[in-house]
Amino acid sequence: MQGILGIYRQLDCAIDAIAALKKERAGEVTVYSPTPRHEIEHAIHAGPSVVRRYTLIGGLLGATFGYWIAIWVSRYWALVVGGKPVSSWVPYTIISFELMVLFGALSTVAGLFITARIPRISMTVGYDPRFSDGDFGVWVECPPEKQEAVRQLLARTGATEVRGEQ
Amino acid sequence: MAAPALRRPNVSSANVQLPAVANYTQVTDEILDTLKPTKTWFALLLVAITFLLIGATAWTYQIYMGVGVAGYHPPVMWGVYIITFVFWVGIGHAGTLISAILYLFRAGFRTTIYRCAEAMTVFAVMTAGLFPILHLGRPWKFFWLIAYPNWRLVWPQFKSPLVWDVFAILTYLTVSATFLYVGLLPDLAVMRDREKNPVRKAIYGQLSLGWRNSDREWRHFARAYLFLAAFSTPLVLSVHSVVSFDFAMANTPGWHATIFPPYFVAGAIFSGIGMVFTIIIPVRRWFNLKHYVTINHLDAAAKLCLFTSTVVGLAYLTEFWVAWFSGNEFEQNYFWNRVFGQWWWAAWIMLTCNVILPLSLWSQKARRNTTWLFILSLFINLGMWFERFVIIVPSLSHEFEPWRWSGYAPTFIDWSILLGSFGWFSMWFLLFIKQLPVIAISEVKEIVPPALKRPHEHGIAVTGEHVAYEADTPGEHD
Repeated sequence: MQGILGIYRQLDCAIDAIAALKKERAGEVTVYSPTPRHEIEHAIHAGPSVVRRYTLIGGLLGATFGYWIAIWVSRYWALVVGGKPVSSWVPYTIISFELMVLFGALSTVAGLFITARIPRISMTVGYDPRFSDGDFGVWVECPPEKQEAVRQLLARTGATEVRGEQ
Repeated sequence: MAAPALRRPNVSSANVQLPAVANYTQVTDEILDTLKPTKTWFALLLVAITFLLIGATAWTYQIYMGVGVAGYHPPVMWGVYIITFVFWVGIGHAGTLISAILYLFRAGFRTTIYRCAEAMTVFAVMTAGLFPILHLGRPWKFFWLIAYPNWRLVWPQFKSPLVWDVFAILTYLTVSATFLYVGLLPDLAVMRDREKNPVRKAIYGQLSLGWRNSDREWRHFARAYLFLAAFSTPLVLSVHSVVSFDFAMANTPGWHATIFPPYFVAGAIFSGIGMVFTIIIPVRRWFNLKHYVTINHLDAAAKLCLFTSTVVGLAYLTEFWVAWFSGNEFEQNYFWNRVFGQWWWAAWIMLTCNVILPLSLWSQKARRNTTWLFILSLFINLGMWFERFVIIVPSLSHEFEPWRWSGYAPTFIDWSILLGSFGWFSMWFLLFIKQLPVIAISEVKEIVPPALKRPHEHGIAVTGEHVAYEADTPGEHD
């Protein structure tokens, strides 16, 4: 993986750079920011997150498992009380609900880990500690022949520092 | 406009939430500055650990001697432990309300107080979870309540409210801890990037899971955080409803009422807000964070406190009215005994602390007076503990048949374990506030204006407000 990293003080300069890079089709762009900003999301034109699918699947599995375990246990060791159902769905809804929340929440986190590609063992290239503090970063993954043009573009849009990494 | 705001840095306006916070670096510097341990912190930690040891010693003695030393005599077989269990579960609820429900409602004032409230939730539920175990004669067999294949071929009774409790509390603890940790990831990355000590840097690096603040991470993080908040919201309502079922499912005067779930949830949120004030007011003062947790934020939280107090007051009145309207002699007799009979003192502590004193919050002056808010929060904590006392003890001591009527007096063991629970909670909280940021760094940066070269272009509001950037729409931001 090789490319050029531009470090920006100002948010609008970073956005200008993203827009220009998208227009030039310079390469795959990754933007770093100390906090999530809608402006960056719009400039990147990223699609909706797929974390929701993990949430849905986890929630459904949890709810199903909650009903299943309660019904199975009732039938495995039946406590027969006259006129009362052995498996009663009303109290089992509580178990089902709690397990829906538990499984749904945990699968949401699993979805976050998978889609955001964390845990990440090493920082790899294209990161600077300033990005968690106050600066914005634009990393462009591009082949050597495009790097000079990208360098110039980043410097032109107001990057305080531009460096190549691989 | 900026100058007067800076002279009064803890007063925000609708447009500028944190007038005394100029940029992202200031946020990082000032919040990370709070992590340096002080002598006062060590002293408080020592006090907390001492309290915990007192509680642990009392528990050891109780295990050796039996639960009888805790002052339980028929018919009052639930006392301080169950009261304190409900109390601590309730404390946790405001944390989830502030971190999850107010997040869904986009309430601005939550940003600076939610981390403290969320940590409070996790530690309060950890404390609450100990009490049903403390109440067992053989506490080492608590895991029998968990459904898993076992050699005894015995499974939990899923129709029992006590089993619902296990599922609700464990789910609540897991989801709250997950929510707290996921929210901490970006802040752990800030700590990793700032840390000079290689060992600590490596620890923060592991804990932050290699978080890099990339657009991909933020995009999925925002969605996952939203869903966690969306799950936590019904969860918080369900947990105290389930706790209330421990009582409402029993055919006992004062307990067997359909009002219990909403009554418990409102009470829980009210008590939790009280504890948030107890914690956040000293924290903002000692950590020099008055310009983050502003008077306006406290004012807004005080309004929430007042609202929940009135809901709780309405629930008390509804209980009395239902007892009168029911025509049920046992119910009426019980409620008369609660307020004017044997337990009048406990009931009046409850009513004074939870309904009468919070009425002061109708005054804006009182809502913006941090000393009064702190004192009031102590009264609310006391009042809410007594609310659970009033629910549990008078009902058991004054059931249907007069020959069974009795009294209840907690013993030294009860009080020691109660003290120990405060020590346990405080110990975790004190450790938390010096190891991890008490204010969410990355979320505060969201409400601080970003550095801009051309502040009035691109639709980026100088106040830090998020405005959609539509580069493709001509004339949109001219």
